[in-house]
Amino acid sequence: MLKRGKKDENDGPSDTSMTMSERIAPSAPKPSTGQGKTVIGENITIEGSIRGEENLVIEGALKGNIEMEKHNFTVGPRGRVDGEIRAQNVSISGELKGNITALGKVEITKDADFYGEIKAKSISVEDGAYFKGMIELDREPHRKSSEGAKPASPSGFGSVKGPTSKPVDAKKET
Amino acid sequence: MTNAVLHQQNDSEIESFPISYTSEILQLFIKSLQRQRDPQILDVGPVCEENIMFFAQQLKRFYVCDMFLRLDRELRSDRDPAEVWVHMDYTPSTFDGIQLWDFCDHLDDTQVRRLAELCHSMLKPEGLLMITAFEEQTHALRLNAFVTQINYQVSFRHQPHLKLPWHCRHNRALMSILPGFSHIKSLQYRNGLREFLFKKNK
Repeated sequence: MLKRGKKDENDGPSDTSMTMSERIAPSAPKPSTGQGKTVIGENITIEGSIRGEENLVIEGALKGNIEMEKHNFTVGPRGRVDGEIRAQNVSISGELKGNITALGKVEITKDADFYGEIKAKSISVEDGAYFKGMIELDREPHRKSSEGAKPASPSGFGSVKGPTSKPVDAKKET
Repeated sequence: MTNAVLHQQNDSEIESFPISYTSEILQLFIKSLQRQRDPQILDVGPVCEENIMFFAQQLKRFYVCDMFLRLDRELRSDRDPAEVWVHMDYTPSTFDGIQLWDFCDHLDDTQVRRLAELCHSMLKPEGLLMITAFEEQTHALRLNAFVTQINYQVSFRHQPHLKLPWHCRHNRALMSILPGFSHIKSLQYRNGLREFLFKKNK
């Protein structure tokens, strides 16, 4: 079942409204540990959309969309999510298939498998993560490219026939 | 024909590769794409945060499909390595540019031909294909990500989670298995790295 930190269990799901059918595995779910967040345990499978007003961590399986623009969404190392995600910040350590729209940052750890599109302000990706998808970062208006190298001469494009040997600036000669 | 060499497991036996260089071919690749309206580019990995930031800054959006990791997983499994190509399932004429880095170095000739067919299909007419290749085994034995930073400075970062074979190819051999592409420009650097830029024929 869902467990929520910080708030009374009797509060009801007023601030985390969910439409879902839950299939509970035979073993009992582990209790959540965080404060101000909801943890879906690894033995929980959910089908349906989730809209919430607190942080959410998926350690189990979820098929459905997530909408929590002011809060953070996390797919834990054993978590599996298939759906569209809209959140403040998103962290993926498990498997996620679907598009992400994050107002803040998307973090993809080395254990993650991600398939989908990301639109975010910033992104961090650890080496070893699997990533298949598209990335579009919010770019500040009027921002100039940070590269300052002299552009290649357009007239040089296609003008060289055959391989050329041209040492550039390798710091070590082999 | 190629000579396949498996990457060594013991890093201490491998010469370190503390080399960075300014990639003129990458610069040419990016500048050419920037002249187009809303260019679409595919990077086949290895997935690297710096490259994501670099390409996202240079181009509005770009695509990543980490074929290095996919090939590594196929080779570790009992599946047919040819299964790896199902992951390059993009619609024909989707991309203006494809960045292969040194992926061809880790494929045999049959696989490179298949990759070339797929790239030819996925690229728009006159789309660009950038390839790098190592010339010396010493450098290729340790699989690295090509880490791109400002001013087209490229350095290398070891990817210990990847274990892929390496196939040595000379320039002519590489170009002969890329039918349907015209050679635009290539450079060889003192660190033994070769860079190639090809264009899909109309």
